[in-house]
Amino acid sequence: MGNCFKTPSTDDISLLRGNESQEGSDQSLGPPPPYQERVPVFHPSPNVSRPANQLSEEEQIKIAKRLGLISHLPSGVYDGSSKKGKECAICMCDFVLGEGLRFLPCMHTYHKTCIDDWLMRSFTCPSCMEPVDAALLTTYETN
Amino acid sequence: MCYIYVCLVEMNKNPVEGFSAGLVDDEDIYKWEVMIIGPADTPYEGGFFKAQLVFPKDYPQRPPKMTFLTEMWHPNIGTDGLVCISILHEPGNDKYGYESASERWLPIHTVETILISVISMLADPNDESPANVDAAKMWREKPDEFKKKVAKCVRKNYHYHIIHISAPLNLKNHRTHFIPYKLLQ
Repeated sequence: MGNCFKTPSTDDISLLRGNESQEGSDQSLGPPPPYQERVPVFHPSPNVSRPANQLSEEEQIKIAKRLGLISHLPSGVYDGSSKKGKECAICMCDFVLGEGLRFLPCMHTYHKTCIDDWLMRSFTCPSCMEPVDAALLTTYETN
Repeated sequence: MCYIYVCLVEMNKNPVEGFSAGLVDDEDIYKWEVMIIGPADTPYEGGFFKAQLVFPKDYPQRPPKMTFLTEMWHPNIGTDGLVCISILHEPGNDKYGYESASERWLPIHTVETILISVISMLADPNDESPANVDAAKMWREKPDEFKKKVAKCVRKNYHYHIIHISAPLNLKNHRTHFIPYKLLQ
């Protein structure tokens, strides 16, 4: 049973290339990838926190779906326009020019890192409590 | 980390009636001590309750745990003092649909909103999912006995606050900020 949740630094494409070169010649092989101690931790349900390599198949599917949905949410960089709000309601810090932002379908804006971490735990907007998946569906329907 | 500290500074700048907060130990910003004044027109009126808030390292993504250190008799406070209200429950949807995600912890809650919820819980207990079943039963079936039992806790804690007011100078410098405002008036 494979594990879909590798750390971001282990890119699938580079892994594939590595395999190809292994079959062909062994001289193009670089040094082995460094041993990775930090495995990302996921929160499949309330009160459950597990490192990626200890998730059940069902949990892996749930998390993969969630990661996919989050990646479909629009994101951008703070350009100083006040229309999108000036403060992240999660960390209570003001947005700084160039910081990564995530825009939810309910029009609330947060730091990308703050909201992505939260959405992996609960798929609701912290400000209006609107379920993000339902809102995503309605935006798709209206478009 | 700095977020919790900002919370503390903000709360001392804009004090809210009914409670005060500060650090237990200057070195550890994840452990707070709060004082809650029993809300008026409830059996807890006149009481002065001490509680501890312990924040997880990934706060505000996860809720803090709140435990009363002074004896409490309330349907939603366990016999160990642990406060059991939905907004302090871990985020997400549980399998059984017992509580919706919107009722659980949200990262926009602050110490202020938590304490306001706790004060409203004191005024209006929820006996549907009690942490102290005996207290819930008594509250529902024998309200007079319940009030008497709470009054006993209030009296005990009343003594406690007399001791505290008389000795504010023993508190560390910045802890003097959180001597309850009502008592200073």
